Amino acid sequence: MIVAAEHLSKWYGQVSGLNDVSVSVPPGITGLLGPNGAGKSTFMKLVTGQLRPSKGHVRVLGEPIWGNSRLYQRIGFCPEQDAFYDRMTGREWVTALAGLHGFDERTAADAAARAIEAVDLTEAADRKIGSYSKGMRQRIKLAQAIAHEPELLILDEPLSGMDPLMRRRTVRQIKEWARGGTSVLVSSHILHEVEAMTSNILLINNGRIVAEGDVHQIRELIDEHPHTVSIRTSHPHAVARELLGDEGVVSVRFDPGGLVVETARPDAFYARVTDLAASGQCGPISEITSPDDNLQAVFKYLVKA
Amino acid sequence: MSTRPPLPAPPTFANGAIRVFSLSLSEMLWSRRTVFLLLVTGAPVFLALVARIVQGSGIVPLRVNGVAVDGASIFGMMIWVFYLRFIVPVLGVFYGTSLIADEVEDRTITYLFTRPIRRGAVLVGKYLAYLVCTTLVVLPSVVLVYFLLVPLGQVARTFMSFAADLGLLALGLAAYGALFALVGAALKRPLVSGLVFVFGWEQVALLVPGYFRRFTVAHYVQSMVPHAMPSDGVVSLLQSVLKDNPPVFVCLLVLAAIIVATLWRAANTVESREYVLDQ
Repeated sequence: MIVAAEHLSKWYGQVSGLNDVSVSVPPGITGLLGPNGAGKSTFMKLVTGQLRPSKGHVRVLGEPIWGNSRLYQRIGFCPEQDAFYDRMTGREWVTALAGLHGFDERTAADAAARAIEAVDLTEAADRKIGSYSKGMRQRIKLAQAIAHEPELLILDEPLSGMDPLMRRRTVRQIKEWARGGTSVLVSSHILHEVEAMTSNILLINNGRIVAEGDVHQIRELIDEHPHTVSIRTSHPHAVARELLGDEGVVSVRFDPGGLVVETARPDAFYARVTDLAASGQCGPISEITSPDDNLQAVFKYLVKA
Repeated sequence: MSTRPPLPAPPTFANGAIRVFSLSLSEMLWSRRTVFLLLVTGAPVFLALVARIVQGSGIVPLRVNGVAVDGASIFGMMIWVFYLRFIVPVLGVFYGTSLIADEVEDRTITYLFTRPIRRGAVLVGKYLAYLVCTTLVVLPSVVLVYFLLVPLGQVARTFMSFAADLGLLALGLAAYGALFALVGAALKRPLVSGLVFVFGWEQVALLVPGYFRRFTVAHYVQSMVPHAMPSDGVVSLLQSVLKDNPPVFVCLLVLAAIIVATLWRAANTVESREYVLDQ
C-alpha cells in the first residue's frame, strides 16, 4: 500500500476536518474525489505530513510521514495553492527545489530541465514565474514535483486552470508516469478529470471516505439508491403508462422530447425498456441515457447519501 | 520516469540549511521589506551627507555647550541613536519574526516543508539569509556615514573603533534576529510581541537599577559600544547614568549563548509546529 490511514482524524479547534478515516491506497493511480470542503485538502495535508493527525495514524510508503523528512526523497507533491517565488524563472525555481533533494548543482539543473520538458514548458522556462499564465503555473508546479523522479506523486487539483488540450496532455502524462512505476494520488472535485486517469477512486464527503475502490464496485454500492434514466421518445405518455406499473419505478416526469424515470431497480428497468423498444408497442424509443453511467452521478448519489 | 536513477542521500541539517539559504537570499534581497530597509538605512546616510555639505561650507554642524563636535563624535552619536537603538532591533523584529511567517503567508512554505530536509534547517537557512541580507544593507550604510563624517586625517586614529562598530552591529543583528526568529516560530502575533520587547521591555529594563537589564539584548550590545552614550533625552540620560558595563568577554559570551539557544529553540519549535495555510 502506498498510503495507509487508520482511524485518521483531524480537528481544527472545534471544527472537524477529517473524521475517523481508515483507508488503504494501492499502487497505481488513485483519485480522491469530493466537493469543496469535503476534507480532501485535509487528507492531502495529512498524507504529505504538513499536518499532524489529531487521532489515528497515516503511513506513506510504509513509514509514518509526520516529522519524517527523509521520506520526502521518495515523494513528489504538487500543492493546490497558486503560490510561487514570482521573481524567479521557472528553471531557477525547479532547479533550486530539486537541489533541496541533495543533488549537486549540475544534476539539479539537468533534473529540472527534464521535468520542465515533460510538462512542455521548455520555451518559457527562462521567463519569470510572475509572467506565467495560470495553466503554465500549474505545469511548473508539476515540474517541481517530478524533478527528483519520486516513487509517489501526490497531486492536489493538478488540472485546474489548464486549457482542454493541456488537460488532455497532462492526463496522458500522468498515466505515462504511472506506467513507468510511479504511484499517483490525485485529488479533484471534478469527476471526469479523474475518470480520465483512473477507475480507482476514493470518494470523500464531510470528512469521511464514503466509498472507495473501483468505479464499478462503487456503482454497485449505489444500486439501492434510485437511478435516473432519461428516455427519448415521441410517445412519452404511452411509455410512461407502461412503466408506471413496474415494480421499482419511483417517479416519472416529462421532459421536452421524452421522459425521465427514477427507478430503484435499474437492471430490471433497463431490461424492461429494452423490451419495450424492441416491441415498438409504445412507438420508437430513440435513446436511453442515464447520468448514472458517468461518475458524476455516482458521486452525487454517494455524497448525498 | 521509467528508469529511475538512484537518489542522492538527503541533505544533512547543515547542508539543507545552506541550500535553503541559497534559495532564500535573492528572494529576501529583492523583497519589499528590503526596500523599506534601504530607506531606513538611507536616512543616516542622508543626514551625514547634509552634515558633510554644511561642514564643507565652513559651518560647524553640531555644537554641544558651545563646543564644536568633531566628525568622529557625530559618527559615534549616529551609531547609538540610529543604528543601535533603532535600526538593528527593528530589523531584528521585522525580519526575524517573519522568517517562517512570510512563507506561510505567501503559502510557499509547502515547497520547503515537503523536501527531505529538516524543518529546523529551513529556519536556520532563512536566518542565515536574513543575516547576510541585513548585513549587506546596514554595513555599507555605516561605512558611508563614517567616510562622510570622519575627516580622512582621523581615519587612522578611529579605524579600530569603526571596525568594532561594524562587528557590533553584525552581532546585534545576529542576536536580535535569532531571538525574534524564536518569537516568530512560537507566537501567533510575533510582530507585536517583538515591538513590545524592543520598545517596551528593553527600554524599561535598562532604566531599572539591578538585574532586570540582564534580560535584554540591548544591555550586552550597548555595553561594548566604543563611543560614549549620548544623553539626548530624559530616558537616555537616565540610562547613561544607570549604565553598568559587564566585561566585553561576558557580553560576547552572553550574546553567543542567546544566538545559539534561541536559534536552537526556534528550530525545534518549527519542527513540531503545524502551519495551517489559508486556502
